[in-house]
This record gives sequence, C-alpha cells and structure tokens, in this order.
Amino acid sequence: MRIPTDARRRLRRARLILLGAPIVLVALLVGGSPAAAQDPEPTPSLIPGPPAPTPIAHPGGSGDNQCAACHVSLDDKQQAITQAWQEGIHGKGGIGCADCHGGDPRSDQITVAMSEEAGFIGIPSRDDTVGICGSCHSDPERMGQYGLPTDQYSKYWTSVHGQRLLEADDTKVAICIDCHGSHAVKKASDPTSDVYPLNVPQLCSRCHSDPTLMESYGIPTDQYATYEQSVHGQALIGNQDVRAPSCTSCHGSHAAQPPRSSEVVDVCGKCHTATQDLYLESRHAELETAAPKCWTCHGTHDVAKSSEALFFHPEDDPPDYECTTCHEPPDMTLKLNVEQFDNEADRRCDTCHHPESLIYPQVEAIAGALAGASSAQETAAEKVERARSLGMLVDDAENALAEALTAYVQGQAAVHTTLLTTISGHTDESVAKANRAEELAQGKLDESDFRRMAMIVVIGLLLANVVILYYVLRRIEHGQDQGQDAEPSP
Amino acid sequence: MAVDDMPVPTPPVSSARPGTLQRVDDWVEERLGWHQLAGVLLHVRVPIRAKTFFFGGITLFLFGVQIATGTLLALYYKPTPEAAYDSVIFITSDLDFGWLIRSVHHWAANLMILFLVLHMIRIFFQAAYKYPRELTWIVGMGLLGVTMLFGFTGYLLPWDQRAYWATVVGTEIAGGIPIIGDFALEVLRGGADVTEATLSRFFGIHVLVLPLMLGAIVAVHLVFVHQQGLADPKEADPRPPAVPTGRTKPFFPNYILEEVIAWLFLLAILVVMASIWPAGLEEEANPLVTPEHTKPEWYFLGVYELLKHIPIKVVGILTPVVFLAILALLPFLDRNPEIRARKRPVAIFLGIVTIAVLIGLTIWGYVS
Amino acid sequence: MATSQAAPRGSSDGVPRRRFLGLLLGFSVVSLGAMVAAPIVAFLLPPKSTGAAGGGKTLVGTVADIPLGQGKVVPVGSTPAIIINTEQGVKGFNAICPHLGCIVAWDQGAGNIVCPCHDGRFNASTGAVVSGPPPSGLPPLDVSVEGEEIYVVSA
Repeated sequence: MRIPTDARRRLRRARLILLGAPIVLVALLVGGSPAAAQDPEPTPSLIPGPPAPTPIAHPGGSGDNQCAACHVSLDDKQQAITQAWQEGIHGKGGIGCADCHGGDPRSDQITVAMSEEAGFIGIPSRDDTVGICGSCHSDPERMGQYGLPTDQYSKYWTSVHGQRLLEADDTKVAICIDCHGSHAVKKASDPTSDVYPLNVPQLCSRCHSDPTLMESYGIPTDQYATYEQSVHGQALIGNQDVRAPSCTSCHGSHAAQPPRSSEVVDVCGKCHTATQDLYLESRHAELETAAPKCWTCHGTHDVAKSSEALFFHPEDDPPDYECTTCHEPPDMTLKLNVEQFDNEADRRCDTCHHPESLIYPQVEAIAGALAGASSAQETAAEKVERARSLGMLVDDAENALAEALTAYVQGQAAVHTTLLTTISGHTDESVAKANRAEELAQGKLDESDFRRMAMIVVIGLLLANVVILYYVLRRIEHGQDQGQDAEPSP
Repeated sequence: MAVDDMPVPTPPVSSARPGTLQRVDDWVEERLGWHQLAGVLLHVRVPIRAKTFFFGGITLFLFGVQIATGTLLALYYKPTPEAAYDSVIFITSDLDFGWLIRSVHHWAANLMILFLVLHMIRIFFQAAYKYPRELTWIVGMGLLGVTMLFGFTGYLLPWDQRAYWATVVGTEIAGGIPIIGDFALEVLRGGADVTEATLSRFFGIHVLVLPLMLGAIVAVHLVFVHQQGLADPKEADPRPPAVPTGRTKPFFPNYILEEVIAWLFLLAILVVMASIWPAGLEEEANPLVTPEHTKPEWYFLGVYELLKHIPIKVVGILTPVVFLAILALLPFLDRNPEIRARKRPVAIFLGIVTIAVLIGLTIWGYVS
Repeated sequence: MATSQAAPRGSSDGVPRRRFLGLLLGFSVVSLGAMVAAPIVAFLLPPKSTGAAGGGKTLVGTVADIPLGQGKVVPVGSTPAIIINTEQGVKGFNAICPHLGCIVAWDQGAGNIVCPCHDGRFNASTGAVVSGPPPSGLPPLDVSVEGEEIYVVSA
C-alpha cells in the first residue's frame, strides 16, 4: 500500500516542481517532510481472541424442549423469559433452552433435565456468553441456511469491547446479549429490534450515555446528545431515514472501535462518494496522515450543515494562533488532533492558514468566489421575488436561478478539491446564470413599470375625458336653463 | 319636452353643418323611422331628486366590460384540464395585453357583484322596491343570482389549485341541500367528482348560458325601469302611475352623460386594479393535494363562515336559501306604503342589521 | 386641465361654442375608442414568441434529437425536465434534484440520471433513487411521442 502511494507522491512532486508555483512548493515542503510521511498512528497490536468453542452438546434433537412446558407456568419472570424466547428468532427457529443453558430438554423432571450429569450450566457467565453465541454463529455450516455471516465472533474480539474483555477480563463491556438480547433475539431487519438501524443510537447510548459506567474508561458521554443534533442524527432519528448513518455506520458493530484518523476519509466516503473523490484531488489529501480530514472541518458526532462560515472566523473573533494547533511537539511535525477541533468555532480554514501564510490568499479567493456566486444569486432571487410579487410570471428567470444554484452547489462541493480554478469554474458559471436570471427579472420589472406608466397615461386620459364630459354636461344644462327661462314650460 | 332637447348638439358634426353623418341619419330615418324609436327610448324625464349613485348603470357597464373581455379570453382559452392552466398562462404571459384583458375581467367580475349589491342596498333604503316596482325588484333578484353563478362558474376556469378546490367545496355545499342535494351535485359536477366534465360544463354555462340569461333578464329589467321611470326617493308614486311629480331633467343627454362620467371613473379604477394587482395564478390544479386553506371568493365568504358555525348542515345550507327567498319576496312582505326612511324605522333597522351581519360574517370569514 | 381653461372663451357666442363642444366630444370619443381598441387589437394578433402555443403539451424535441439510450434536459414551463429515450420508451422526469435543488443530467456512460452536485443517481425509467443523498426519486412527467415529436403533457 505504501509503496504505490510513495511512487504516486514522487510523480506528483515532479509534476508540481515543473509547475513551479511557490504556494505549491511551500505546501510540498510541509507535506513531504519526513515526519509527515511516517504513520503517526501505528496500528496497535491486538490481543488475539480465543478460537470458537464447539456448541454445547446435549441429548435430544431440536424438537425436544420440555423446559418451556414447566417454565411457562412458573413465576412471572420465568413466564416472561419463556414467552420472549418463543417470540424470538431462536424460539421460532427451533433453537431451544439447552442449546445455550445445557441440560436434557427431553425430560420434564427438574432433577434430570437440570442436572449436572445432563450438562446443565444454568445462567452462562458473561465471559462464556460470547463463546456460546460464537459456537454456532461462527459455523458456516449452521449459518449458511440463514444467509448469515460468520465473522461476528472473530470481529468481536478485535473490537474495543472484545479487547477489553480479553485484556482486563472486564465483564462490564458490551457482549452479544447486551445489543441483541438474550431470550428475545430479533432479526436486525425487524423494526422492533434494538439493532434495527433506526434504534441503534438509542441502543449504544444505553451504556455510552451513562456517566457512572463510562467514568472508569474516561470516555465522554455526550455523543448521543451531540449526534442527535447533527445532520446525521436528525436524518436518522428525526426523519427516520434508514440511509442515514447510526453509530455502527462509522464505528462498526461487532468490531466496534473509533475509526482511525487514516481511515476517516474512507469511512465518510462510504456514503459521500462524490465528495471523497473531490477531496482526493485536493492538496489536503496529498498530505496523507497529517492531512486535514473530514472531521477537521465538519466535526465527528456533531456534523452540522456546512456553510461559508467554515472558511473564516468572524472578524471580531480572530483565532489564537498556537503552533500546537497544527504541529505536535517536540519536533513540531504537522499533526492535527481531533481534540483540537472539538470546538466548532475552531473548524475554519484560518485555524491553520493564518492570514500571514502564503496559502491564505488562495483561501480568501475560494471563499470570495463562493460568496460572489451566493450574493449574485441572492440579488437575482430578490429581483425575481419582487417581479413575482408584482404579479409577473417569472418562469424563465426561475429556470435560470435553478441553473445558477446547480453551478453554485457544484462549486460548494468542489471546495473539497481546494483547487481555485476548479471552484471558480463553477462559481463563474453560477454568477453568469444568476446574472441571466437577474436580467430576465429586470425585464419583468421593466414591463411592470411600463404597465404603471401606461396606467398613469390612461388614467390621465380618462380624467381628461371626465372633465370634458362634465363640461359638456354643464353647457347643456346651461342651455336648457336659458331655454326654460325664455319659454317657460306649461 | 321637445324644446328642452333642441339645443343638444348630437351628433356633434351634424349640428355644425349637414355633413355625412346627417345624410346617413336622414337615409336611415327615411327607411326605418328610428327617430321615433330613439325618442321613446331616450326622451324620458328623470326626477331631479332621484339619487341613483349610478350603481345600476355601473353594474350594466361592468357587464358590458365582461362581455368584451370575456369574448377576447374565450378566443384563446382551452376548456380541458390538460390545456386550461397552460392556456391561461399563455394568455397572461405570451399575448400582448393578455394580462390586462384577464385582470380587467377578473376585477370587473368582483366590482360587478359589489355594485350590484350596492344597487340593491340603494333600492332598499330608498324604498324603490315598493309599488309599482315590485316586479323590477324580483327580476333584479334574478340578476343577482345569475351574477353569482357567473362568479362561481368562472372561478373554476383557470384550473389552478384555488379554483379547483373552491369548486370542490362549493359543489359539496350544493350537495348538502335537502332532497335535491345529490341531484344538484351530480348536475353541477357532471359526475361524482370535479373532473374535465365539470370544467366543460362550467365553461359552457359561463360563456353561453349565463350571458344569454343575464342579457335577457337585464333587458326585462330595463324595460320595467323605462316604463316606470326612476323612483322619487321623497315622494311615493301616485296610483295609478302618472307623470313624475317635482322637477325633472331629461334622461338624454343629461343623465346619460352623468352616467358615462361614472363609467369612466370605473374604467379608471379597473385599469388601476389590473395594473397594480394583476390576476394571479396558483399552482396547477391537483386533485390529490388539498391545499391548507381553501376559501371561496369574498362574496361567498359570509355563507362559508355561516356554514362553519351552524352545527346542523341542513340548517346551515337552508339559511342562505331562506334569506334569499325572503329578500326576493320583500315587496310583498313589507306592505308599508311609506317610502321616507324616518317613517319606516323597523325596515331600516332590519336592513342595517342584515347588512352589518353580512359584512361581519364576511370579515370573520376573511380573517379566520 | 387646458380644456377646462379654454372653455369660457368659446362660450361667448352660440355657433363657435357648439363647434367647440363638438370638437371636445370628438376628442373624447376618439381617445376613448383608441384606448379601448389598442389593447384589444394587440391581444387579437397572434403572439410574437414562437414558444408554446398555450396547449397542455410542450414540444420538447424530436426522437432524432434524443436517440435511444440518450437523455436531455429541456425547459417545460417553470421547471426543467429531463427526457430520456429508454428501452422502455421515452420517459420524462422533473429535473430538479430533491436533495439540494440542482438540475440533474443524463449520464451516458452509467445509463442513469446523475445529479452533478453530490453524485445522486436516479433510475432512467422510474426516476427512483439508485444511490446518493437524494431523499426521494424524481417525479415522473407524462410524456407522449407523436410520430417523431416528443411532448410533455401537463397533468
């Protein structure tokens, strides 16, 4: 993996040197520094998980289950357990009590069925549970008929949950049943299941939002609250859009762990394919591991709708430029840490590209190109709206506005390339289309003005006619009066 | 009478010298004897005290405007659900002065109803519906009904969301009339729903049936007015009808000229309204999407609000019907021969209350 | 205004006064007539624009313009539409992407409709979302092919 990347970089470097742009050279010095080339996050070595045990052997076939006959009529708790099992996928699929608890399911005698001789284990310990589930679920023979994958068991041991269990025998970590349930196991595609995509954030937050539980691990507990407010959370929880990412979309489910910085672009790019392609064209992407990643600008759990505010700090709030924001002591290599960008206010271009830097004018130019297109659209939209409010039909202007918007949104997406020419190509087109819309709207406004002018002329004419007719009437009445005076009517 | 008319310069050119117009007039007169007819029609006298405010004449003028603009619109309008909306857009945006013709048609329709109502109110307060003008009043009620139908049928024609749903609701209300409701609904809609059948029959009724009806009823109305002359608001007509008492003035040219001046004002108002508030167009009609607020035109708002607040549907629908019936029979219910307002306090009081209630309901319907 | 000021001068004796009245009335009739006739005549003349003839159908092109397997964005009234000549016949959709309002385009290579802004993709014959961020598919339009000519029929 590394060799082709290096080769590619060398090729690119050669090309860029040929181009000779000073800004590029500066960036190259940073990007090509040996510190940046070595992986700052070496993959930690994993404690290997145990091999999957063999499934619990018990007498009797899959049809035998005398346990339920008694347990359904015991106390409320036993009754609930039996019912949950019956309604669950295991109960329906003929996986009985003894498959997990051992014992002899053929017998309805407690002394026989639940005896040690019959291999009864009772409630399996949390340590053993993963193995009991894994004994069947890692067996391709058994799982084939259900079309289920068999890698969950091995994946689990690679997860932070599994590793912690192996490393410290910490049974507080999540095991299979914490997410899937024990007796009432449901399919992931069942909307009432806890592991149904829409329910996953709630499921994870059962533990991860619990301060007492998380305290010992030093993990924050605000992820759910933050996620809920993010664009992703609003889409999934608010709009019930199953395509939106839940916790597991980025962290994985069975192999749950925080995505490493080097993986982030691929994790986000899983859905944001077009944006990933654009990003990979950028100077940022060339910086490899030290590069600004998705989270540098967009955050992690709190991804918000992006806006032009991502370019600069507001005028009144200049960032405090500290070397450590982007450089890591002691050798001050370029390194961006997630924690440094926790605060939304720090996720701006000028957090790294301070105003004296060589790259700053390009950042300004990019922001300016988008702002120009945006304001051109605003002006045009305002004019179109004015024409519409005057009762004019503005179809053609609206078409041009839609085209301007298309180019503008493309320009916004192209910001990920950080290439000014690519971005301004889109924004120039957007400005041209917006100007066209404005021109059309202006035509309507002129037409409306003409109507008003014509109206004034017409009103003038009408009033002149009123005056004339009134005058004529008065003359006639005058004549009539004179006639009456001369010859009084009988 | 003849003496009064002598100094009138009409037509203007003819009074100066025997020109072309004079010769044409002579030529026609020789063959038709139309001076006599014109004399009968025009040379009547009007009491000086008669205050008409020209409401009736303005309504007639607006009807003329509607015929002219309506005919022009019908030349381009296409009465099918596929084409109606687009043809209205075409008229409004692509044709020269299309916006003007359509907007004038729109505003003249509203003003026509307004002035018709003002005319009725004037007649009521001047007690001009009393002997001998009972028939004129009843015929006038017919004019009111036909004009409302004009508004109702014309409203659907642009085939936008507002038009479509106002018609759905309006015909629904007609369907609530006891006994004949279902029948009325089917006949109005030309089927169970508002469809292209509704559009074609509304178009046919709007451009053919109603203009002919209105024209005929207006003619009858005017013949009655001509036979009886204008009512004197100060003095009841004596029985049997005789020459008007008090001072009079000639209908032609004095009253006609005054009337024309009033029309010019109306024309100015129409031009201003059409220029400043051109007739708009909502989204194209979509039978699958009911807009949030469906409200009828202002002249149906009172009834609309009434229906909302009367829990029993039948009562709600019958109330305006009964009201119209009482109104139509007013000359026979109000037997008091007195015409001076001070001497008929009950009628005046009831009239003011009725108008206040109608205005109140309309405003309520507008703001709710 | 000028006319009313001029009035007293003409009223001094009978014949010029009548003439003056005649002139005034003539002006009145002619000006009012012109005012009413001008817009009516203009309205009656066929429109200058060669655009839609006001029918419910908009001509969007010919089969020769859009051969099989190709698509094109055309304006239909206030909104752009995309017309595609598919194996299942000529299809048309509203070309406004339901994601952020960009105008979609035809992707010849992939054989589907693509939104250039965020790579949203739509099925060419149903308008349904194939991939990408659009929250819903493209609303289909009623397309009719008469001979060589392709029309979009407004619902």
